[in-house]
Amino acid sequence: MASFHLQIVTADGLCFDGDAESILVRTIDGDVCILARHIDYVTALGYGEARVTADGKTRRAACMGGMLAVTGDRVRVVASAFEWQENIDVARAQNALERAQAALEAADTKDEKGFASAALKRAQIRLRVAQQK
Amino acid sequence: MAGASMKDIKLRVKSVQSTMQITKAMELVASSKLRRAKENAERRRPFFNILHDTLTDIAVSNRDFSSPYLLQRPVKKSCYVVIAGDRGLAGGYNANVFRLAAASMAGKTCMVLPVGKKAVEYFSRHGFELVSQRYVSVETLGHSDCEDIASVLTEGYRSGDFDELFVVYTNFVSMLTQDPAVIKVLPIHDVRGEKEKKAPLILYEPSCSAVYDAIVPQYVTGILFCAASESLASELGARRTAMDAASKNAAEMIDDLSLRYNRARQGAITQEITEIVAGAEQ
Repeated sequence: MASFHLQIVTADGLCFDGDAESILVRTIDGDVCILARHIDYVTALGYGEARVTADGKTRRAACMGGMLAVTGDRVRVVASAFEWQENIDVARAQNALERAQAALEAADTKDEKGFASAALKRAQIRLRVAQQK
Repeated sequence: MAGASMKDIKLRVKSVQSTMQITKAMELVASSKLRRAKENAERRRPFFNILHDTLTDIAVSNRDFSSPYLLQRPVKKSCYVVIAGDRGLAGGYNANVFRLAAASMAGKTCMVLPVGKKAVEYFSRHGFELVSQRYVSVETLGHSDCEDIASVLTEGYRSGDFDELFVVYTNFVSMLTQDPAVIKVLPIHDVRGEKEKKAPLILYEPSCSAVYDAIVPQYVTGILFCAASESLASELGARRTAMDAASKNAAEMIDDLSLRYNRARQGAITQEITEIVAGAEQ
């Protein structure tokens, strides 16, 4: 299958730098899968699962916030958080989930609610990705 | 004369010694913190570069100006985020940042968001209009602080409080070299010359303005976060170098002073012997 150069980067460092055959991400508008020779394209990422296929193998990851840009034959994903399935700390995500649920119940203002529900969503996605086979 | 000068020299040696103790301790603290700061800065550098490159690449081929972040407005007011140190005694580190900021601000109406205690002090003393004085510590500036700053700044930019946004920080080149730098963050602009422009169309999904509304706050956050970690590593690097030089100078001074002290002591003894001998001969 045709491949393209993919870079995935977060503030914590480079997560992926190499050739890939496809990348599927959750954008703010829904899931999008990018293949080689895509038109120049920019979108913002939502919270969701990402799937990267390289050398015929598909890896899953939790990908939250940021952007995806296709320019020429390069695809760049600049994410707020990007964690490969095997790197997700399940215990921590479980804790975060419980904390976020408690915070959501206790939240009074709109800001607090938004903050807590975003944290809840992040934790849910991490857990979902980690538990998939 | 000899006795008085011996005492003077002894006192000076003592004071230089205690200064040297301080500079040595500061050097040690700086180098142990530097290791972590350097790792952080280096880990974040690809993010910084790719983020900045991607946004400029998009700007190069962009033909859709429906988002305020892409539109070059006539500049009435500029906003500068200046990241300097929390403390002094770091050689020319703070002064270099302020000099570059002053050169870049010359002739413009500016507001400033200083980050770091030294920056807050400098810009409030010079009577600049400050966006906030809250960020007095670069060392403890976390990702959520950067998010707060970014949301204040993007809000200010959208509502027209200022028309361009710059970040002044220091690039950590190596342990011995740190370069102050200015980058223009907003509006997202095309840095390349007219000649090199190619114009492939970019597809935005769902729409240009929706994409930029979502991306830009995160972009500003990312730039600030990385610039702060580069600056912190630079500050520590500069402090280590400065304190190393200071300790060496102090050691040299002590050597010099102890030589003079011994000479003065010898001189005093010789004189005493001469006096005794002269007294005995009489």
